Order: sequence, then structure tokens, then C-alpha cells
Amino acid sequence: MAKVLEGPGMGLMKKWGIHVPHYAVVTSADELSKLGHVNDWMKQSQLVAKAHEALGSRFKLGLVKVGLDLTGALAATKDMIGRQVGSIRVSQVIVSEMIAHKEEYYCAVKSTREGSEILVANCGGIEVESNWDRVKRLCLDVGQAPSHEALEKLAKEAGFTGALVKKMADFAGKMFSCFDNEDAQYLEVNPVVTRASDGELVALDAVTLLDGDAKFRHPDWNFAFAAEFGRAYSKQEEEVMAVDSKIKGSVKFIEIPGGDTAMLPAGGGASVYYSDAVVARGGKLANYAEYSGDPPDWAVEVLTEKVCSLPGIKNIIVGGAIANFTDVVKTFGGIINGFRKAKAEGKLKGVKIWVRRGGPREKEGLDAMRALKDEGFDINVFDRNTPLTDIVDKALQK
Amino acid sequence: MSILANKDTRVVIQGGAAGVNAARRMAEFCYLIKRPLNVEAFVYPPDAGKSNEVPYGSGLIAIPVYKTIAEATKNHPTINTSLVYIGADRAMKGGMEALDDTHIKVVSMITEGVPEKDAKILGAHARKLGKVFNGPSSIGIVSAGSCRLGVIGGAFDNLVLSKLYREGSFGVITKSGGLSNEIIWICSQFADGITTAIGIGGDAYPGTDYVSYLEMFENDPQTKAVVIVGEMGGDLEERAAEWYGAKKRRVKLMAVVSGFCQESLPKGMKFGHAGAKEGLKGEGSARSKSDALKKSGAIVPPTFGALGPAIKDVYQEMLKSGQVKEPVEPVSLPKLPKSIEAAMKADEVMVTPLIRTTISDDRGDEPCYDGYPASELINKGYEIPHVVGLLWDKRLISKQEAEIIKRIMMLSADHGPCVSGALGTIIAACAGIGLSQSVAAGLIMIGPRFGGAVTDAGRFFKHAVDNKMTVDEFLTYMKKNHGPVPGIGHRVKSLRNPDKRVKELVGYVKSLPIKTPCLDFALQVEQVTAAKKDNLILNVDGTMAAVLVDIGFPVDSLNGFFILSRTIGLIGHWVDQKRQDSRLIRLFDYLVNYAAPKRREVPPLK
Repeated sequence: MAKVLEGPGMGLMKKWGIHVPHYAVVTSADELSKLGHVNDWMKQSQLVAKAHEALGSRFKLGLVKVGLDLTGALAATKDMIGRQVGSIRVSQVIVSEMIAHKEEYYCAVKSTREGSEILVANCGGIEVESNWDRVKRLCLDVGQAPSHEALEKLAKEAGFTGALVKKMADFAGKMFSCFDNEDAQYLEVNPVVTRASDGELVALDAVTLLDGDAKFRHPDWNFAFAAEFGRAYSKQEEEVMAVDSKIKGSVKFIEIPGGDTAMLPAGGGASVYYSDAVVARGGKLANYAEYSGDPPDWAVEVLTEKVCSLPGIKNIIVGGAIANFTDVVKTFGGIINGFRKAKAEGKLKGVKIWVRRGGPREKEGLDAMRALKDEGFDINVFDRNTPLTDIVDKALQK
Repeated sequence: MSILANKDTRVVIQGGAAGVNAARRMAEFCYLIKRPLNVEAFVYPPDAGKSNEVPYGSGLIAIPVYKTIAEATKNHPTINTSLVYIGADRAMKGGMEALDDTHIKVVSMITEGVPEKDAKILGAHARKLGKVFNGPSSIGIVSAGSCRLGVIGGAFDNLVLSKLYREGSFGVITKSGGLSNEIIWICSQFADGITTAIGIGGDAYPGTDYVSYLEMFENDPQTKAVVIVGEMGGDLEERAAEWYGAKKRRVKLMAVVSGFCQESLPKGMKFGHAGAKEGLKGEGSARSKSDALKKSGAIVPPTFGALGPAIKDVYQEMLKSGQVKEPVEPVSLPKLPKSIEAAMKADEVMVTPLIRTTISDDRGDEPCYDGYPASELINKGYEIPHVVGLLWDKRLISKQEAEIIKRIMMLSADHGPCVSGALGTIIAACAGIGLSQSVAAGLIMIGPRFGGAVTDAGRFFKHAVDNKMTVDEFLTYMKKNHGPVPGIGHRVKSLRNPDKRVKELVGYVKSLPIKTPCLDFALQVEQVTAAKKDNLILNVDGTMAAVLVDIGFPVDSLNGFFILSRTIGLIGHWVDQKRQDSRLIRLFDYLVNYAAPKRREVPPLK
């Protein structure tokens, strides 16, 4: 699931015929000023300026300004660009025209197991959040497009009347086209409004989640995906992502500030059970990490260096289930190199290492880990006969 | 009994290297359970018409590769299952091709990173056709004692340890590949093992979900309980709970769910598999799944670690009620033949080596010459002549000796285009022949009359010195036993027109504080022979030979110095002709003395 910011999200909607307000994404007040000379709408309409970043609660942070004229928008842009919010530095501002409207509606398309679901409500904004029962759904099988009759029926069910029935059905149909053709996993417009000037339905805000795995067939996706959790990726995380994109298999790394139990487990499935075990034992995770699919040893070494560099860690959990085809000797070789490097740099002082693993060449791999004891590492090594997450229990024993 | 995969399963594998690797793993399993290999064919257009070799025991089985599924099933009509190892961008097309073939009933997709929409289309298409589409991102399917599809089950040792050679009573369904192995292992240690284990893949919308497989297990009398390993995200576990709670089921359902850590993590943080993401409105949390499963009557141990003992309890109960009997273990199991390398490492076999070397070894991270790593030689200031010393005479020569060799090489690197070697190379180069062959054409000329006299010269001078011969004794000995003295005499050079190379080399060597008995002897010989005939001087071959013997090189290596040095020139001549784009040349008639009989009539054939 790959999140797309409002600008490119609106771009995709526009591509499929959905009316969106005039908008521009700028990186400086100068740029906006230049655009202001050639875009009449910037001079004629009231404007909204929003920080164009993956940030929640922008309104509260003062990163949304409404009812502006161009001069006001320029000032707002100047003020917002460069603001630091947590780990995110505001580098873009989206300026769009304000659409005069009275009523607000809601429309979304989401992925379901069978195919997709179109959601429509005749209320929008925060009102729909507290009246979720007013959202009506049309379920579609994969490969099935909604008929106009079905869409009109949906609009009627949601309480639309008169000319709005056809308009909302139309709008929802275009949302579906966008969703289906763009390999989206979730599209949400809240609110949908009636533009006073021409009576057309317009999307005022867009939440767009695309299927990153489908990027290969969308050469026009020329935008970057936004970070998934309300903060920018750290340098360390980005370095691991860069390695991940280059290799067969995978390495993953997410930092969780303030924790003291570092994770270096194998497997997308097992890694979560290890994290659960830490939390269940009252421990505090310092990170999430995972390597799988028989990655090259150097990639695991890079991951290990990042894990060893986490501040204030007391334990490192090198867990893993019984691998199918990941070579234990080779991947442990990468971890051992990473440990040695970290130790040579004066890291890992007072850090306990806990190992549990099985799989191809497990005996040799575990023996190599055990041998680290002779090099002065505080390491405890267990084989398949110790249940998966018992090393976490041992590590966190008070 | 088992589900999905059994002893009648015959497989086509769609894909290249990863598919071949899977076939190897499958062959190991077939070998363990003493059944013929269940892979019939590969479909991989780039290699169509070839075959892939799959080791089975100590032998190799050739499995044909086809361009299309239709060709494969036409030639192997027993195929009923396809494993898809095709890249994510072409996986849907490949999966559809397999589903649309009437022979194929089960398609399991191993490919990761398949777009969600494609996976849904494949799943829906399979349901419409009444077939099974498993995956994407599936580690595979294994039915104990009868069939392995993919690499699930891991290495051969693990197959044995997890008792996959015979049936147990537990079904397993997991999203995670690594955990499927873990659960199979746990079932074999805490109970009697598994019937079938299925990796459904970690994507958000797997082609076939828990419920469909639970139905199948419910109808398989051998399966008494099913273990599912769930994760946060999606609603597959809730659907399984719904199925289990809907009515009294024959199989016992056991489950663990991961993702509780999500409750204490920053919101939206994405873990593990693609499918493991929190629902948009809070649905699909580990807690809601675990609660739903518990409510439905499933056994849900509090942690993953508690799963083993819980499985044991269920199994003991089954034993007590007579529902299952203790399994009978086979007396002996086939052992996977070891590779020669592994067997040697374990001191189990002795091999007579085919060749023996005493000079070099590149099995480490860099070549070692006579034991010295090349990089260390470089970093400590050694040069090409030292490498020659190490590889030709297995010793580290001195700086002074290296200087002599360097000078010898510089003096004999080339002698213009007219000499036999260079001419041979040039003629070849003009005929458009490649570098190594052209240089070889020049090198072939090196022999008794051209450049190849160094070894013999050295041999005879050394013989004379070793036997303390006088010059006269030596010349008599040579005349009687061998003929002209190698290293003495030149086609064009003479006492009045001395060879400057010889003068240079002799001058340098004589300026050094080293003993040169051979060179001294050779110079004495020259005084006698040149007095007889002006051009019977010590030539460059003879000088090199005497000096090299004096600094200790073995006689048999001496021609090598000329060959090595002259190769530099020969390469130069080839490059030179190539650069000029020289035309094919032939000898002019006026350069040939036609001494053959005059043209005459051919007599009738008798």
C-alpha cells in the first residue's frame, strides 16, 4: 500500500474525469508568484494553502490556511516552507482554489477480497465520520464495472434526490474508473461538494493509496510515495530501503525511538511474533527489522550495522524460524561481520545478543555465532529445540 | 490422506532458475519417500526445447522445457498441477495460462510482489472454473509422505527431523513461509506430525483463504486438527472463526495470531507481509482476530511458544480417545547422497587427485604464488621478475637478480618484423586471424633455429662448467656429440659488427659483485670460435643462457625467458597490423625460386 500526496492524487482523479479545484504544488513563494502571473484563477478565486506533506492534523499545526487572496497565499507559502514538524520538513505547499459550496458529500472506493466496494454518503466532512451508518455500499466482483443503474440505485439509497442522483452516480462511476485503472487500493474524497458556479460535483480533498507492486505498468506514476506513518524516513531507514530495492530477498528496518530491545529477526511472519513477544514481556522495541528470501550476506551486514547503531539498546534479538531456503551460514555470516564492525567501533558495550534459528546449514551457522563468545561478545545461542520466542523471555527476564 | 497434493500429483513448473531450484528440492523429497520425481515438465520460453537436469539420489533426471503449458500437458497428459515462478509483471498471464488448461486443477503461485488486482482476478477465475489458485507469495504445499510442491519443508535434514516422510494428523495453514516450517516441526515434536501444510502467502487477498482449505481438511478423515498461523490485517482469520463457529466441525481448530505489538507502536507502522496492515477503520487487529477465534471455540494459545504444548494436549487427548494411534516409524530412511566436497570435508571418502601443483593456488580471495598473496607482493614492492622467479623456480629472487631478468626481457622483447616469429604473427594478422592465434603462430617459430637455443646453450655451458672442462675440451665434446655450439654464432652480427644487446648485458652483469662462471666460460668460448670465423660470436641467446644459469634458474626454464619477452613484441605486431587495417598479403613470385618440374601432361590413370 503506497500513499500518494494530495497533489498527485488529484492529478490521477483529474485524469479520469473527476472535477477537482484548480491547484498547484509549489516549493517556494517565488514559484507561486510566477504562477500567479499566468493563472487567472489564482487572482480571481479565494485560495487555500496547505503544507503538501504526509502530516496529520495539519489544521491544528497551522499548516492549512483558508480564504486567502494571492498575496495571502504567498505569505502563507513563505511561512510554511521550511517549517520543521517532528522529522518532516515542509518542502512543498499545495495552493488550490476555494470552491463555494453549501452541501458536503462523501465518496470512496476500497479494495475488498472479492473486488471492490463503492461507498457513498449524502453527508461529508466530519459529519460522515460520526454518521457512518449513512454510508451506503455497492459491492463489485473483480473485473466487474458498476452499471449506471446500480450507481443510481446506490445514490438513491444514500439519500440523494433529483438531479443529484445522476450526478453522484456519475461521480462514483468516475471514482471507480480511476480506482480500477490506476491499481488503487483505496480512494476517498471527503468532501465532495456542488460547485456553486456550474452545479458540478467537485472533489475537494483526496486520499489516494496505490498498489506499489503495480508500478511496473504505470509509467506515468512520476511522483514519490509518501512515508507511511506520519514521519519522514530516517537516513538509516532510507539506506536499508536502498539496499532492499537492489537485492534478491529483502531487508527491512524501521526505527522506534526510545526502545531498548533491538530486533534482528528473520522472516516477515516470525519477526512480528518476536515483536509481539517483546511487547507481551513488557519490553520496549527499539526497532522493527526483518530479513528474508535468502538475501546476500552484505545486505544482512548493512542491516546489522544499523541495528547495532540504535541508541541505548540492551538486548539484540537475532531470532528466526526454521528457514525453507535462506542459508543460515551465509546470512549469519553477514550478521557476524556486522557485529564485529560494530564492536570495533566501540558499540555493543553491555549489549546482550540472543540467537535462535533453524534451516539450511543451521548447525554450522549456530556454531559460528557461538564462536563469537571467544571474541568477547555477550551472546547466547539456541537451536530449533528452543521454542521460537523463548529467547525474548530469557532476554527480558528481570 | 491429504488435501491438494498427493501421490497422484504431477507437476509443471513455470519459470527459470528459481523453478529449477524448487524442482531439486522436490526431488529430494521424492527420494526421501522413495517415489519417482513428480515434476514432469518446465515451461520457460527462453529455454524451450532444452531440458533441465534435476539430481535424484546420486543420479540426474532430465526434465524437458516447453514454450507453453499446452505443449507441456500435451506431451505429459498426467500433469494436474502448476507451480508459478514467473516474475511479478508476467505472473498473471502465466497463472491464467495454467488455469485455462483443462489438465491442470491446482495452480500455486510463488511469485512475490504480484499486483493485488491480478491476484484477485486469478483467484476469481479459478473459483469460476472450480479449480484452486494458491498464493501469490506462497512458500508451497507439502503433504507428508506423498507430495511436496515448492521449497516448503526446507533442507533434506529438516524433512527428516520434521517426519515429513510419513503422515500425521495435523493440517497446517500459514501466511508466512518461515513459520510454516516452524509449525510443521512443532507438530512433529509435540504430536505425530502433519497431513498437509499450505503456505497461502502473506498478501492481503490470497487466491484461496483459510476457509476454503478448512473445508477441505474437514473432508479429509486423516486430518484431525488444523493449525492456522494468522497475522494482523485483513479479515481472513475472522472468516475462519466464522466458519468454525457456524456449526459443529469434525476437525479441531487451533490458531495463533501475530501483531499484538501494533497496540503499542506508532499508528500506521507497517510490519511484515503486504497483508499485515491495519484496517482503515481499526478492523483486522490481532486482538479482534484472536478474540473472534476464541469465541468460535478454537484453541488460541496466549503466545507462539505456548502453541507446542497446546498441540501436545490435543494430540494426547486424541490418543486417549483412540482417535489416533501412535505412528510407526520406518526402520530406515534413505540418506541423501553427499556431494564429493561434503563427503571429503566429513572425512568420509578419499579421492586420488588428477593433477598436482606446487606453484600456485587461487582458492582463497586472491591468487597466491608459491604461497605469497599477490596483493602483498605488490604492496611490498615486488615486481614482475619476482613473480617469474616464484612461478618458474619457486623462490623469491633478489632485487639484483630481478634487475637482470628485467633487462633480459627488455633486450629481447622484439627484434623487428623480419624475424621468423614476428613475420609469422604479421602474416596471420594480415589474414584477419585473432590475437591469441596470431601470437601463437609467431611463438610456433621459436625452436632450435630461432630464439629457442637458450635452454640448450645454458645446458651445455653448465655441463662444461660443472665438469671443469677447458674450452678446447668443450669444443671437442660438442663437435663429437652434438654439433655446433648453441648460443654461438649470428646470421648478421660479427666481431666487427657486434650485437649491442650482448655488450649491454655482459657489461651490466660483469659490473655486479656476483660470480658468473658460465658467462665467463661462454666468453672464453667466443674468443676461440670468433677467431676461427668472424660471426661465431656469443649471441644474445647464449648470453642470456649463461647469465640465467649463473643466477640459478633451472636449465629447462631458460627458453621461457625468450618466449615471455618476445610475446610482448608479437602482441605489438598484431595490434600494429590491426590498427593499420592491413590487407591480406601473399609472397611475390619473384621472391620464390620455382625449382619444381616444368608443366607436363598427366598420364592416364592406371
